[in-house]
Amino acid sequence: MGQLLTIRAPGETPPAHKAARGQITIDGLVVAFGDKDARRTAVDQISLDVAAGEFLCVLGPSGCGKSTLLNTVAGFLAPRAGKVAIDGIAVRGPGADRGMVFQQPTLFPWKTVLGNIAYGPRVAGRGRTEAYRIAHDMMAMVGLSAFADYYPQSLSGGMQQRVGIARALANSPNVLLMDEPFGSLDAQTRTMMQEALLGIWEELHTTVLFVTHDIEEAIFLADRVVIMSAAPGRIIDEIHVTLPRPRDADVVYAPEFVRLKRHCAGLIRMESLRAFQQQNVAARDA
Amino acid sequence: MDAAPRATTRWIEALALWVSIPLFLGAWQIASTAGLVNELLFPPPTKVAVALWHELMNGTLLLDLGMSVTRVVIGFASGAAVAIMVGLLTGRYQVISNLLAPIFQLLRPIPPIAFVPIVILWFGLSEWGKWFLVFWGVFFTVWVATHLGVQRADPALIRAARSLGTPDRLLIRDVILPSALPTIFVGLRTAVSISFYTLVAAELAGAFAGLAYRIDLAHQNMQTGQMLGGLVMLGIVSAAADRGFAALSRRFVWWI
Repeated sequence: MGQLLTIRAPGETPPAHKAARGQITIDGLVVAFGDKDARRTAVDQISLDVAAGEFLCVLGPSGCGKSTLLNTVAGFLAPRAGKVAIDGIAVRGPGADRGMVFQQPTLFPWKTVLGNIAYGPRVAGRGRTEAYRIAHDMMAMVGLSAFADYYPQSLSGGMQQRVGIARALANSPNVLLMDEPFGSLDAQTRTMMQEALLGIWEELHTTVLFVTHDIEEAIFLADRVVIMSAAPGRIIDEIHVTLPRPRDADVVYAPEFVRLKRHCAGLIRMESLRAFQQQNVAARDA
Repeated sequence: MDAAPRATTRWIEALALWVSIPLFLGAWQIASTAGLVNELLFPPPTKVAVALWHELMNGTLLLDLGMSVTRVVIGFASGAAVAIMVGLLTGRYQVISNLLAPIFQLLRPIPPIAFVPIVILWFGLSEWGKWFLVFWGVFFTVWVATHLGVQRADPALIRAARSLGTPDRLLIRDVILPSALPTIFVGLRTAVSISFYTLVAAELAGAFAGLAYRIDLAHQNMQTGQMLGGLVMLGIVSAAADRGFAALSRRFVWWI
């Protein structure tokens, strides 16, 4: 499957240090909604560097601004202050260099699985034959080769999300942004999807920025987990996950895993309580 | 009820479908010939069929049919095409919507038929007047449907497309139009019946051929068989257009 890395014309020289691309720099980032009176700061002074090829999970209680952080890196939101750059180039809007996998699969219902995955390469100006070849490679990688001509509505939630991942990867992005992509799947499917994602990542070594509120998911997947506070979102802790790779589902019983999980759970619990109290205060004042 | 209906039940259900129209024609025939109603004013299907046959033989039926269908096709196609283009713009760009929507909302509730007198002054009894009326009737229905369809396009799909590298100029073609297509087709199908309403009004106001014109002419000559024949033809043509359109929707909106 090594050829998946080299989606380019034969004979073309490989981009220098592919593995060194996809570095994310976030510096003093502030993202806020609303104007003066109703201003609500979602992300407050976040600075974060993600190394090329790193798998980084952002973990935080719901409403902490972690999706806002991701959407800013994706280019859907503009920062109030600070900057976001990929490989030193400031983010100015959404683009195919950053593949995005959403909470919901958001596939085009009028396109088949093949058509959905081939869409990115087509829009990038590749010919139909080449786009389809890329799409077939991606379908093989996510294990959906038999479903090329199916429409998304006829697939299960887990399969749809796999198409979503394949569609994002078909553009061979340097960065993959994932916004709680497995949140709406059932527990068994979720575990399988996490293992599948790690398999893909170990093949491609694309930089992954993965947002979740699920502690086990974050530790299972990541090289590094950053923990965000309740709103406004700040980074309150960072842990390095040194569990050996490739990881399988049994890693959750390893003492190191349990230790990290307990540490994260304590922090998240504190932040959730704080958010809860903030809401109560706000409700009382209103 | 049983999960699987018995064979006899299914057979009776199928039979009901096949006898539906013959039953209607039979009841009409009996009502008319048995003297329940004045046969002169309400001729039986057999006499209507004879009247239609005569018209077919002397060529007026095909001429009328051709004229009426051409008027509907030209008015519908131009009205729908302009409405879809304008609807994509008003649905997508707030400034265009603010500019045009108030005007359209003011003109839309006026029944197209009310425009017949002024249209005769503008266009005389030419074909342009008929095309204009059908166009007018079709335009607003299709515009509203397109406008709503565009506005209801899933923002998540638009974000997905933009993150896949879709430039702004391709967004309408690749995402917004397909998203709105199911709603547009509902509007188009409604507009098919509206185009026949306005056609009838246009032809009654003055024409030299056409299905509704023939009904009006037969009325002046007390040819009740031909009048009912004209109604039957209008019914068949508009039902066929509606069915054809339903089939077309299934082809164009295959994913629903």
